[in-house]
Amino acid sequence: MRVLLLSLALTGWARAEPPAPTDAPVDELPPLLKEPALVEFVEAPYPEAARAAKVEGKVLLAIDIDATGAVTNVEVLRPTGTDLGLEAAAVEAARTFRFSPAEDATGPVPVVVEFEYGFVLDAASQAGAVPEDLPPPTAEELPVNLDGQLVEMGTRRPLAGFVVRVEPGGIEATTDESGRYSIRGVPAGAITLRVIHPGYQALEQPVQVSETELTTVKLWLRNESYTTSGVLGVYTQPSPEISKRTISMEEVRRVPGTFGDPIRVVQTLPGAARTPFGTGFLVIRGSNPEDSGVYVDGIRIPYIYHLGGFESVINPDLVGAVDYLPGGFGPRYGRSTGGVVDVRTRVEFPERTHVTWSTDLLDSGVLVMGTAGKKDQHGFGVAARRSYIDAILPLFLDEGFVARPQWWDYQAKYQWQGDGPNEFSLLIFGFQDTLIVSTPPGFAQSSDQDGQGELGTTYSTHRILARWEHTFSETLALHVTPSFGNDYAQFSLGNSWKLEQTQWMGEIRAELPWTPNEHVKIVPGIDFIGGIAPFSITLPFDPAQFAETDPLAEREPYVVEDVQPGWGPDIYLLAELRPLADPERLLLTPGLRFNFVSIPGEYDIYAFDPRLSGRFSVYDGGRLKGSLGIYHQPPQPFQSYRADDNPVELGFERSLSGSLGWEQDIGPAVQIDAEVFYKALDNLVVGNPNFESLEDPFFVNNGVGRAYGLEVLVRHAPVDRFFGWLSYTLSRSERRDQPDEEWYAFDYDQTHILVGTAGYKLPWDIEVSAKAEYVTGNPTTPYSLGVYDVDQDQYQAFATGAPNSERLPPYWAVSGRIDKLFTFRAWQLNLYVDLLNVLHGTNPEFELYNYDYTEKSYIQGLPFIPSPGFEARFQF
Amino acid sequence: MLIFALLGCTATELSQSWRIDRLRVLGVAAEPAEPRPGDRVTFTSLVVSPTVEVATTVWFACLTGGDDFGCVVDEALLATLDPSGELSSDDLEALYAAGFIGAEPYLPPVWNVPADALDTLSAEERPEGLTALINVTAIPEGADLEADELELAYKRVPVSEATTPNHNPVIASMSVDDVVVEAGTVVSLDRGQPYTLTVTLADDAAETYTFVNGDGGEESREEEPYLAWYAEAGEFDQTTDLWPNFEAIHYPPEDASEAPTQIWAVVRDRRGGMAWTSLSVRYR
Repeated sequence: MRVLLLSLALTGWARAEPPAPTDAPVDELPPLLKEPALVEFVEAPYPEAARAAKVEGKVLLAIDIDATGAVTNVEVLRPTGTDLGLEAAAVEAARTFRFSPAEDATGPVPVVVEFEYGFVLDAASQAGAVPEDLPPPTAEELPVNLDGQLVEMGTRRPLAGFVVRVEPGGIEATTDESGRYSIRGVPAGAITLRVIHPGYQALEQPVQVSETELTTVKLWLRNESYTTSGVLGVYTQPSPEISKRTISMEEVRRVPGTFGDPIRVVQTLPGAARTPFGTGFLVIRGSNPEDSGVYVDGIRIPYIYHLGGFESVINPDLVGAVDYLPGGFGPRYGRSTGGVVDVRTRVEFPERTHVTWSTDLLDSGVLVMGTAGKKDQHGFGVAARRSYIDAILPLFLDEGFVARPQWWDYQAKYQWQGDGPNEFSLLIFGFQDTLIVSTPPGFAQSSDQDGQGELGTTYSTHRILARWEHTFSETLALHVTPSFGNDYAQFSLGNSWKLEQTQWMGEIRAELPWTPNEHVKIVPGIDFIGGIAPFSITLPFDPAQFAETDPLAEREPYVVEDVQPGWGPDIYLLAELRPLADPERLLLTPGLRFNFVSIPGEYDIYAFDPRLSGRFSVYDGGRLKGSLGIYHQPPQPFQSYRADDNPVELGFERSLSGSLGWEQDIGPAVQIDAEVFYKALDNLVVGNPNFESLEDPFFVNNGVGRAYGLEVLVRHAPVDRFFGWLSYTLSRSERRDQPDEEWYAFDYDQTHILVGTAGYKLPWDIEVSAKAEYVTGNPTTPYSLGVYDVDQDQYQAFATGAPNSERLPPYWAVSGRIDKLFTFRAWQLNLYVDLLNVLHGTNPEFELYNYDYTEKSYIQGLPFIPSPGFEARFQF
Repeated sequence: MLIFALLGCTATELSQSWRIDRLRVLGVAAEPAEPRPGDRVTFTSLVVSPTVEVATTVWFACLTGGDDFGCVVDEALLATLDPSGELSSDDLEALYAAGFIGAEPYLPPVWNVPADALDTLSAEERPEGLTALINVTAIPEGADLEADELELAYKRVPVSEATTPNHNPVIASMSVDDVVVEAGTVVSLDRGQPYTLTVTLADDAAETYTFVNGDGGEESREEEPYLAWYAEAGEFDQTTDLWPNFEAIHYPPEDASEAPTQIWAVVRDRRGGMAWTSLSVRYR
C-alpha cells in the first residue's frame, strides 16, 4: 500500500487581507506579479484507520502563506466526511509546506491558497476492498432538480468558483462566472445547502426539494469583512519621484478628523505643516501656500479645498490616489518652488453599478459609477455634493445676522479601455464656494462708512479634461491631456469694495515616453498653459492715497477694468536610467525643464530647471535616495499688474532644493523613511519698500529665504488588522524681505511636527482609528503700547519685538473615529462618528489683542466635537 | 477667522474699547478745526480716568509730523515737565523746539500756525493743504513716565486755504427715551430696563463742502459723521452709530453701585472735526 498524492494543484488563491483573506473582490486588488509556488512538499502519513477501512478521500485546505512563503495557518474547507483522520493528517502535513512568496508591485505579500490534498490507496491496498462509504456516483442522466445563484450579500456580486454542497449526500456543484449552480439528482425532501469558503461566513440553508420539479434557490453569502484595504503601492515602489508618498485610499478614509478626505490626509505626512483649522492651506517644506502646486490628473487647478478647508473639491470616491511630492520632484511638474499634490481620479470602475449616498455634518452627496459594454470597457462615474451649513447656521445666529457659507461640486468621468492600442478618458468637474455675511439693517459694522453692507466672496472652477493614450509599440507611447475651463474669484463689501477676476484657461500636457530597453526610458513632454483673465477692481479710495495713510484725506472711488492675457509653453525632458544589470538596483532620473511665461505688455521671462534624483538599493530592504534641482515659479497673477503703463519688472522666484534620504524595510509590513532637505530661495516677490505712488511698482524681487529639516515616516502597512504611521518633521524656515533687514521666521515655521495615526479592524465590521498630533506653535510678532489715533477711534500698535519672534503655544490634539458597517442583501450602510479633539486640547489658533494692546488672548481651535455621518452604498 | 467665529471658537474675553475702566483720551478738538496759516489754534480734550487722578496732559504739535505717530519727543524732555521739579528756561526752550504747545491744567494748549506753513505748496495744492500732528500725553499722578503708565494719543489737524474749511460738529442735545437731558442732570436708570439714548446734532452740523478731486475738478460733498459710545458700566446694543442714526440702546448693569457714573458720546466728522457730550447716570 502506498500513499499517492492525488491532487497537488492550487485550486485558487486570494490575497491575504486579514481578517478575511478574500474580503475584497480579487479583481479589485492589485494584480499579483508572481503567484506562490510549492517548493517543499511534505507527504502526510496515511492514517491507519483509513487504510484499514480502505477509505480514500480529498481534503480541501485553506493555507495562509506569509510574505516570506512560510505557512502560518491551515484550515479545512471541505472535509472527507469519513472521520478517519484524513483531515488531521492533511493539516499537519500542510503546516510544514514551504512556498515561494507571492509578489505584487510592492514586493512580497501574504496570500491564502486553496489546496486539495488527496489520499488514494495503491492497488495492493485496495485488493479485495469494497469501498462501502464512497459517495454515490453522479447519475448524469438524472435531471437537474436544484439550481440557483450564489451572490455576495450587500454587493450582489456573483460569486464564481464557489462549491455548493448538498447535505446529506455530499453532492457538489461549483458556481460558474455568473455565480450560477445546478445540481442533478438531489434526493427529494428536506436538504441543507452548505457553502464554506475562505473569507466568508459559512452558509447552511434548509431547502425542500422535489424529485420531479426544479427547485431554484438564490443563496446570499456574507463576506466576513467588507472593509477592504487595497494596498496601493505605498511608497516603497521605486518611483522616479524619490520623495513620492502614496498611501492607500482605505487608510485615508479612516483617518480621524479628515472627513474621509484623501487630500487632507496629506497634512499628516512628513513635510506638511499644520495650518490653522479652517484655512485649508497647504504649507510644504516651509513654502508659502501659493508656492505648492495642486493638480487633478496632471492639470493644475487654483484651489483644492472648499471654503474653510474642511473638504477637497473632488469627491473622495472618485479619487484613485493622491501623490504627495514634498520636494525633489522631476521636471514633469513646474511653476512651483514648494511641493506638489496630484490628485489622480479613478481609472477602474466596478462591474456592477454602485450608487453611494454619503452625508455628514457639512454636506451630502451622491455618486453613481459602474461599467457598460460587453467587455465592461466603458467605465463611468458621476458625482455631486452640496453643503447645507448655510441652512443650519441661521438657527444659531441672532435675528438679522446672516452667515451663509455654501459650496457645491460635481464630477463626471468616462473611461474607455479598448483592446487595441488606445485608451481614452474624459473628466468634467467643477465647484463653487460662496460666503455671504450680513448684519441687520442699521447695524454699524464699523465706523467706516465704506465698510458697511453685505460681505460676499465667491470662487469657482470648471474644467473639462480629456486624456488619450496611444501605444505605438512596446517601446513607444503617446499621452496627451488637453483641458479647458475657467476660474472665477470675487470679493465684495457693500457697494464700495469689489474685486472680481475670471480666468479662461487652456492647458495641454503631452508626453512621448520611449523605453528602448529595461535600462532606459526617455520622456519628452510639454506642459502648456495659456489664457486670458478679465478683472475689475472697485475701491472706495485711490491706492495712492492708501500709501499716504491719512484717514482724513478725501477718498476718491477707484475703478479699473482690464484684461490680462498670459501663456507659458514649458517643455521638459526627463530620463529614467537603470544602469546596473539588475535594473531595480539603481535608478537615476536626470531632467531639464524650460520655463517660459509671457504676460503681454508686462514681461516675458524664461529660465531652465536642471534636476536630478536617484535611488540606490544598497541591499535588500535598504535604499539610499537623493535629489538636487532648481525650481522656478512665476509671480502670482495679482503681482503681475501695474496701474500705469510701465511694464511690471518682476522675474521668477527661484529655489535650489536638495535632499538625501534612506528607506529601510523592517519585515514585510514596516518601513522607515528618513530624509533631510535644504532649500535656498531667492528672488522672492515682496512689497516694494519704496512704493509712494502709482508710478512705483507694487512688488519687487527682493526677498530671500531658506528652509531645512529632517523628515521621518515610520509606517505599518495594512497587514492583519492594523495600519498606522508615525510622521515627524524637524524643520526651520526663514525669510528676509529686504537686503538690509534681519531674517525672520516664516509665518508657518513649525520646529516639531509629530503625527501618529493608527487604525484597527475589530470583528463585526467595526473599525476604530485614532490620530494624535503635537505641533510647535506658529510664529507671532509681539505688540504692546497702543497709541490712540483720535481721528479713527482706534489704537495703533508698536511691535515690541522682531517680526515673528514669538510663538503661539504648541498645538496638540487626539482624535478618533469609529466605523460600523451594516450589510443587507442589496446594500450596505456605514455609520461613523469622527471624534474631533477627544481630549479637549485648548489649542490657540490665532492671537488676539484687546483694543489698546495691553491684553492678549487666543482664538482657540475646535473643542471636542463628535461629527457623525453615514454612507449608504447600493448595488444594482 | 470668520469660520472660527461661526463655530464659536471664541477667545478669552478681552476688555472692550467702549468700556472705560482705565485712563483714556477719548477726544481732542481743535478750534478752528481746519486753520489757515497764521491762525491761532486752541485745543480741548476729553480725558477720562475712573481709576487714577490725571496729573497733567502734555501737548505737542508738529506741522509735518515726525513719523506716523506724531512728534518725536525725547522721554527725558518729557520728564522736565514733572510738576514737582524745576523747569529751567533751557528746558522750556528745548520743549518749545520739540513742538511743545501746552501742559494742562497749568498751560492751556495753544498752537500758532506758522504763517509760512503752506509756502512749499503750489496754489493748486493749498486748498487741500498739509496735516499737522498733535501729540497728547496724559500723565497720571505718581507715574514715573514709563510708557505703559501713560496714555498716548495723537490727532491730525489739517492746515489749508480751503474755500469751505471744516468746522467741529455741534451737539444740540442728548436724550434718554426721547426725553432731553439738561446739562448737569443725573439720570436714574432702572436695572434690567433698556433705555434708548439719542444724540442730536445742531442744524447744518453735517457740513456741505467743496472737494477738489484728483482731476482738478470741484465736487460738492456732505459730511458723514459717526458717533462712538463709551460707558463705565452697562452694555450697548452697538457702540458705533452712523449718520444720521445716532441712537443706541443702553442696558444698565445688574450689579453696579448706585454711585453716579458716566456715559460719553463722541462725534467725529471724518475730516478732523470732533465734539462730545456726556450723561451722568445712577443705576437703581
